[in-house]
Amino acid sequence: MIVGLTFVGLIILGMPIGFAIGLAGLVGLIDMGGSQFLAVGPGKVFNGLNIFPFLAMPFFILAGEIMNHIGITDRLVKLAQVLVGHFRGGLAHTNMLASVFFAGLTGSATADAAAFGRTLVPAMVKQGYKRDYACAVTAAGSIIGPTIPPSGLMVVYGSLMGVSIGGLFAAGILPGLVICGICMMVIALGAKRNKLPKSEESAGFKEIIDTFISSFTALMMPIIILGGILGGIVTPTEAASIAVAYALFIGTFVYRTLSFGALYRMLVSTARITGVIFVIIAFAGILGWWMSFERIPQAIAESILVISDNRYAVIAIIIGTLLVVGMVMDITAILIILAPVLVPLTEQIGLDPIHAGIVFVVALNISLMTPPVGACLFVLSSVTGEKLERIAVKLMPFLLAEVAILFIFAFWSDAALFLPRLFGFAS
Amino acid sequence: DGKVLKFGHDNKADPFENPAHACTAVFSNIVGADTNGKVKVEVFPSNQLGSAAEHVQMVRDGVIQATLTSTGALASYYPRIDVLNLPFAFGSNAATYNVFDGEFGKTLADDIEASLGDVVVLGFPDTGGFFAVTNSKRKIADLKDFDGVRIRTMTLPSHQAIINALGAEAYPLSWGEVYSGLQTGVIDGQMNPVPIISFAKFSEVQKYMTLTNHLFSPYTFMVNRAFYEGLSDQQQATLRYAAQSCVAASRGLSRIIEASDRGLAGLMDKIEVTALSDDQRKAMAGATQPAFEKHIKENQDAKAGELLTLFKSEVKKANDASYID
Amino acid sequence: MKDWTGHLSRRTNQAVEAIVAILMAALVLDVWLGVVDRYFFHWQLPWPEVLARYLMIWAAMLAVSCGIAHREHIGLTTFVFMMPLKLRRLVLIIMDLLALALFAYLFWFGLGFAQSGANRFAMIFGASLRPFYAAIPVAAALACFQLMLVLIRDLGEQLELDPDQDDPQAQTTGPAQ
Ligand code: NA
Ligand code: NA
Repeated sequence: MIVGLTFVGLIILGMPIGFAIGLAGLVGLIDMGGSQFLAVGPGKVFNGLNIFPFLAMPFFILAGEIMNHIGITDRLVKLAQVLVGHFRGGLAHTNMLASVFFAGLTGSATADAAAFGRTLVPAMVKQGYKRDYACAVTAAGSIIGPTIPPSGLMVVYGSLMGVSIGGLFAAGILPGLVICGICMMVIALGAKRNKLPKSEESAGFKEIIDTFISSFTALMMPIIILGGILGGIVTPTEAASIAVAYALFIGTFVYRTLSFGALYRMLVSTARITGVIFVIIAFAGILGWWMSFERIPQAIAESILVISDNRYAVIAIIIGTLLVVGMVMDITAILIILAPVLVPLTEQIGLDPIHAGIVFVVALNISLMTPPVGACLFVLSSVTGEKLERIAVKLMPFLLAEVAILFIFAFWSDAALFLPRLFGFAS
Repeated sequence: DGKVLKFGHDNKADPFENPAHACTAVFSNIVGADTNGKVKVEVFPSNQLGSAAEHVQMVRDGVIQATLTSTGALASYYPRIDVLNLPFAFGSNAATYNVFDGEFGKTLADDIEASLGDVVVLGFPDTGGFFAVTNSKRKIADLKDFDGVRIRTMTLPSHQAIINALGAEAYPLSWGEVYSGLQTGVIDGQMNPVPIISFAKFSEVQKYMTLTNHLFSPYTFMVNRAFYEGLSDQQQATLRYAAQSCVAASRGLSRIIEASDRGLAGLMDKIEVTALSDDQRKAMAGATQPAFEKHIKENQDAKAGELLTLFKSEVKKANDASYID
Repeated sequence: MKDWTGHLSRRTNQAVEAIVAILMAALVLDVWLGVVDRYFFHWQLPWPEVLARYLMIWAAMLAVSCGIAHREHIGLTTFVFMMPLKLRRLVLIIMDLLALALFAYLFWFGLGFAQSGANRFAMIFGASLRPFYAAIPVAAALACFQLMLVLIRDLGEQLELDPDQDDPQAQTTGPAQ
């Protein structure tokens, strides 16, 4: 009780999420009485991070930073533009499709939101889009990045829950593409109402081919990563390090835009982003341990099964819980604290671990853009200067469409497991 | 005024699937009943409180009161546990019972207690039996078949020394990456007790399994010393015989799993299983045991050498003994 | 006083960032070595996997203090912005003090944790675990130091400033998920 109050109170008062989790855990340890419990904390911080597959996260961040720096993002946007730019709302469609191309480079939604918020949103505004709408499209598309592999959240989920990371990667491809498709439908259906401008002439065949060639190196990245994993050359963690090597190679020898100083800054910023995420994981280790010791997860799980043990009802309750908690909490922290509670439920109703994992990851990704705590909204708001609540309003149709897609994949296991089965990760 | 004994371990919470949980279930039932509820056992399975190595620290600090720890997890606190990794030592499961219930088990328990200072060792439950080697490169029957096979091991230098002495290549890989590593061919094979090979579904991604029986690696059942000494003499005695039943349960369940479709019997039609002849095992023992003993000599103290000498003589006695004869 | 602490914070952070960059570079090279070893050299090095984990923990934990210096550890600001200016500053100062208490706890008990590592043995390296465990108290001490400096530098005014004013790098990165 006191732990929960501490946590909620600190969050409301603006305490950084990771520190609020740490202080709530600390209050729990103090409440247990006895310095032997206080002594548990540092070990939990250390061992919470002492997981080899976590390495994939800084590596994918670094690879994304390098690709971004050497100008890959612009080329990918250009490619999307020549493909769909001639529709009404062309730049909105471009934004969405570019998120798919970008997804192979980045494991993070906020990286996508930051990059497109800085480049595509101003371009859209210049062409006559309302800024809140442009931000909403960017936010809606940003979750494609961590849904299509690589994905930092899948790495955390797979490591903590003992689920094949390669299998989760395979499972993410289809929902990512479907989300892109449904969002483009939402754009098309609302084009008249939102008075979206029709942009350019359609690109000629030659222009499409030229653009494709110039962005070819970027499009190769997901193929190298997935090919490396599925082809048995490297583990998912090592694949992330290969992604870094590839980005370095392209930057140094193909584009020749990479300097030593820039590399230094990217190493630093990668470490800083990693630190911001890992401090949440580390402190969630303390809070999670306190909860386990007090047997809180079992109590929550039992109370959910009391409501219903019907397969679809339990899935709906799990998704609902994730989306509601996702409104006020950081998704990595939710994953560490709630997954041990909710994943056993998915086992009880006979959900395949990879299927459960992809439902978890997509639900949490969606909550990246639900206010008040939505990292993508934060980033877009700070990058573009648009008010958070105005973006949220324009986001509603996209959000509903994406939640609908989530439920379809959650209830229809054949669809969710189609690609994992194809690659032999699920039976 | 009852006492609570919090018992953490890193295995699944099913007493019919898992030797560790079978052991804790039997233990907590006996202790609860025979102390009239004065000592209540609460079990925290499935890594709820942390890894196996963290459990050891928590028992030492009195955060929890008991755990079952693997030799790998105990090694960083008590490096001499490594002597148990003498390869191709035991001739049968029965021999392992005799060794760990007999003089060697007693000596090992005393040495762990003396080295750590804050725990009491109540026994050495079974983790699921002997190690087998699986791989997809070729059927392994003779020593030379190991040549160049990339085998995943834990990050335990003695295991790596053994694999290298067989002529194979040892690569450490974190547990979460083993299945996909085997599937994709990042590594050719791995070694584990049969029930783990079965539960992890390695038969889906491996062609051959060899019953090398080259390692036997029991749990160490330890209790916080201050807690133990705070119990009455009769309660301590109850803990002792409850622990003995716990060990018996772990052994029984391990043998049952091996015989059921969740173990060896189930693996037989999914993977090509090879048992070794005495000569083939002797050749492998001849290749690995000197390398292992050299490794212990170079990396451990004299006390570990004494322990190894005792281990070898007790193992020999146990191997030579025959049942009710 | 405020200028002086801001300056010291920046200088300290520059030094920490240099160390962190070196650790990150070592991390990348270490994992590459593991891959290359398996396919080309067959040295069967046992340590790249273990070393990578410890390098990652050192780098990420040290970088926590960099995040503090740049105020990158974000929280929910909606309610704080609803408060009158004076109250908001007071609340933010109290939050900094509480965060300081958290890292002070982590430092103090982290010392004991690192000491416990002295009696534990990393067989792969043939050495004790203390140098690896030391990441916790060292990083916590740095976090405390930075928190004190930025507390005095900002005195609860951090949300009124442009957070990226002297930090062009912050423009290229958001907190990633
Ligand atoms: Na991605
Ligand atoms: Na949210």
